[in-house]
Amino acid sequence: MQRERAWRCGKMLALCLLLFGCAQPPDASQEQRSSQEAATGLAGDAAAGLAVPVPRFAEETRQSGLNHSYLGERRYVVGGGLAHLDCDDNGMTDLYLAGGAAPAKLLRNRGTPGGPLAFEAVAESPLVLDAVTGAYALDIDGDAHQDLAVLRFGENILFRGLGDCRFERANEIWGFDGGNAWSTALSATWEEGADWPSLAIGNYIDLEQPGAPWGTCFDNALHRPAGDDRAFAAPIALAPGHCALSVLFTDWDGDGASDLRVSNDREYYRGGEEQLWQVPPGGPPRLFTRDEGWARLEVWGMGIASHDVTGDGLPDYFLTSMADNKLRTLEPAGAGAVQRPAYRDIAFARGVTAHRPYQGDQSKPSTAWHAEFQDVNNDTLADLFVAKGNIEAMENFALDDPNNLLLGLPDGRFVEAGGLAGLDSGARGRGAAVVDLNADGLLDVVVVNRKQPAQVWRNLGLRADAEQAGAEGHWLGLRLRQDGGNRDAVGAWIELRSAGRVQRREVFVGGGHASGGLGWHHFGLGDAEAAEVRVRWPHGGWGAWLPVSPDRFVAVVRNDAVGDRVTEVQQVRRWIAEQSTAMR
Amino acid sequence: MTLRWTNREELMKRVVHGLAAGVMAVGLIAAAAGVATAQTVVGVSWSNFQEERWKTDEAAMKAELERLGATYISADAQSSNEKQIADIEGLIARGATALIVLAQDASAVVPGISKASAEGIPVVGYDRLIEVPGVFYLTFDNKEVGRIQAREVFKVQPKGNYVFIKGSSADPNADFLHSGQLEVLDAAIQSGDIKVVGEQYTDAWLPENAQKNMEQILTANDNKVDAVVASNDGTAGGVVAALTAQGMEGLPVSGQDGDHAALNRVAKGLQTVSVWKDARELGKAAAAIAVELAKGTAADQVPGATKWSDGPRGVTMDAIFLSPIPITSENLNVVIDAGWVGKNVVCQGVDASSAPAACK
Repeated sequence: MQRERAWRCGKMLALCLLLFGCAQPPDASQEQRSSQEAATGLAGDAAAGLAVPVPRFAEETRQSGLNHSYLGERRYVVGGGLAHLDCDDNGMTDLYLAGGAAPAKLLRNRGTPGGPLAFEAVAESPLVLDAVTGAYALDIDGDAHQDLAVLRFGENILFRGLGDCRFERANEIWGFDGGNAWSTALSATWEEGADWPSLAIGNYIDLEQPGAPWGTCFDNALHRPAGDDRAFAAPIALAPGHCALSVLFTDWDGDGASDLRVSNDREYYRGGEEQLWQVPPGGPPRLFTRDEGWARLEVWGMGIASHDVTGDGLPDYFLTSMADNKLRTLEPAGAGAVQRPAYRDIAFARGVTAHRPYQGDQSKPSTAWHAEFQDVNNDTLADLFVAKGNIEAMENFALDDPNNLLLGLPDGRFVEAGGLAGLDSGARGRGAAVVDLNADGLLDVVVVNRKQPAQVWRNLGLRADAEQAGAEGHWLGLRLRQDGGNRDAVGAWIELRSAGRVQRREVFVGGGHASGGLGWHHFGLGDAEAAEVRVRWPHGGWGAWLPVSPDRFVAVVRNDAVGDRVTEVQQVRRWIAEQSTAMR
Repeated sequence: MTLRWTNREELMKRVVHGLAAGVMAVGLIAAAAGVATAQTVVGVSWSNFQEERWKTDEAAMKAELERLGATYISADAQSSNEKQIADIEGLIARGATALIVLAQDASAVVPGISKASAEGIPVVGYDRLIEVPGVFYLTFDNKEVGRIQAREVFKVQPKGNYVFIKGSSADPNADFLHSGQLEVLDAAIQSGDIKVVGEQYTDAWLPENAQKNMEQILTANDNKVDAVVASNDGTAGGVVAALTAQGMEGLPVSGQDGDHAALNRVAKGLQTVSVWKDARELGKAAAAIAVELAKGTAADQVPGATKWSDGPRGVTMDAIFLSPIPITSENLNVVIDAGWVGKNVVCQGVDASSAPAACK
């Protein structure tokens, strides 16, 4: 304990102290602060001395060659997503950025492990097309190459990965009806017994309807497998649609099956709300009802981030919106009772409402888009990144609206460190990814901005600058492998145990704002030199606890007969070794 | 995402009362309240106190509470409805015996209101409707705004080709304003004295959209337009710009909000009326009502209170609707004397020969 504290505060003393000052922002009104204290007792806790290490991010947009903007008028006011994937199978993460009215861009990672970020655009690719609003990476056909699901204003397109960052259009090969809607959201699941994924696609406003845009939301669509044909059947309408901007297949109640959470934009629906579709294997989807405990919630829903924040073994959902953001946690069922989808909000108690800018002009509320829980300081506590940005120039909302980095505190609350960490861009953020772009075990951040250049920040860890070595937390990059169509084990849960603490993650494709991928599952280990990992495989049981060594990229391979095993991912090690040799 | 941030569910579907009644109600409350007992503590929960306009309301509230011997405490929700719920609990914990709530989000604030109700603490819903039984509703009469706009334009132009430049179609308030306008003009439209030659919503209430719409209407009618009923000062600004481009400035045009630029247009004769809501009256009335309720007076016994059930959920509420004031070239001194705007701003660039009294 003593040692852990020392690691946490040691060299970071100055920042720790700074953070205390920021934990409870100074308030204009003394009356108001004491009212808050009386109501929650938060201020007293903050003074008690909770500290977390603040990572330092350096913007490397220009140097890295990430030269891209998300452009266009009304059709591209939402969207602006990106997919992260490893399209050349070398262990380094590549990017695909939506361009709206401009062409989308595939950026191959040309960086070196631990080095500065570097990207090179792939000029000759069918992926360079317009009207792209967002994209998600996943292995649809189970051939070990990542594929891309590309969302568009107009026809959505699936691209089959062929290796070496080559792709081919696969709508016809896979019987996928790309439709002709304004698509803004996607999630994938492998239903029980299926070797082929089911894709849910969220759609926004139908501008062709009379009265548009008010109350003219498209229905959403569910593309299920066509029998055993390794192809999709005609889509099923998920009606009514309420102008979705994020969808997520997630096992909300821990019963092993995924249902579909849909976050909707209250500005345009009439009589709509947030939705939870029950998707029984092979059966027709149906909405959970008020009688079953699903309460009405109306937000300007723009993104979903999922993580077990409360530590009860079930996901909690952070919903981005305008002004207040939400953090929804499940009300536990009584002993022996059926779990009802009844949620309550803990955003304020946990310090993640993030409702207005934390610096600069605070007189107007914020607009939030992509959000993602990740451990960016490798201290074992999940942090929350939120991309922020005005619609365009809406005067009732903050124009300079910096991205949030809410660092997880040991007591379960979060503290704002976006400015301290250097992620406080004033650009109009939309989609984003928190992902290791230089294989150094530190998660970097890339944000697509509307009508402004996309930005990328390299995580320097606790170092003051790129040249200086510093005390860092340990980490682990982890992939899951199993036989069959769902190779990356979407729908699995991973538990990692170190120093008596268990971290849990659900493996999903979806959520965020039009952005996602299935890369390395990143775990911070703090100062733990050893850890154990176990996996609850999709539609299966928990595997055994397996020892893992820190600071490397490993795969957990499913084997129900002899037990799961952990293997170091050879191509990454080899590639990193080659690069290191070349650098000498 | 949204194109306009508004929780102003000021949904009023019938005439409540006119100017005189509204002002009189406030006077009666003040008289009846007398001096409050020492332990009267009024807690005010602001949605976002950094918005400039609420500072005027607060000053009026404070002054009236002081006059009545009550204590003012407050909290600022900073645009967060979650914080507002905690704020309300905090105000109760600090001993509030009545609450005034300017809701950040009228439906999300309900758990806080329930907490107050459970402890028997009366709540005044301030300016924005909180449609919960037992909450007292105080706001301006929006439908009256529309009536005043039409009335003032009609006074100077009782016949001819009329244009309606309405507010945003996303804002229910836009339709209420328009229905008030039609109430006044309907007879003249039916008789044929007034011909409606253009009617447009204004996307997001933006002046540039109003200007674009007005330009199209002028083109479609060969400039044969005699009067424009615009729903607020922003859209009126767009209309005047379109008229000026055609050399047609000076046509009757309405507006609302008492925007400084609009009052200057009134002084220059470019706009007929700006309907003004005096925030000081609203703040003063809220303080008086809260003290009255804290004393134990039943809501329907508050002087001037009326029953109202025309909200979206049809809840019957006790309410007072204050009447807004038409500001024309005749009474520009009202806004200047109130300290709302300086004479130099109102009268800037006004030709001395045709200047209204307030600018002389």
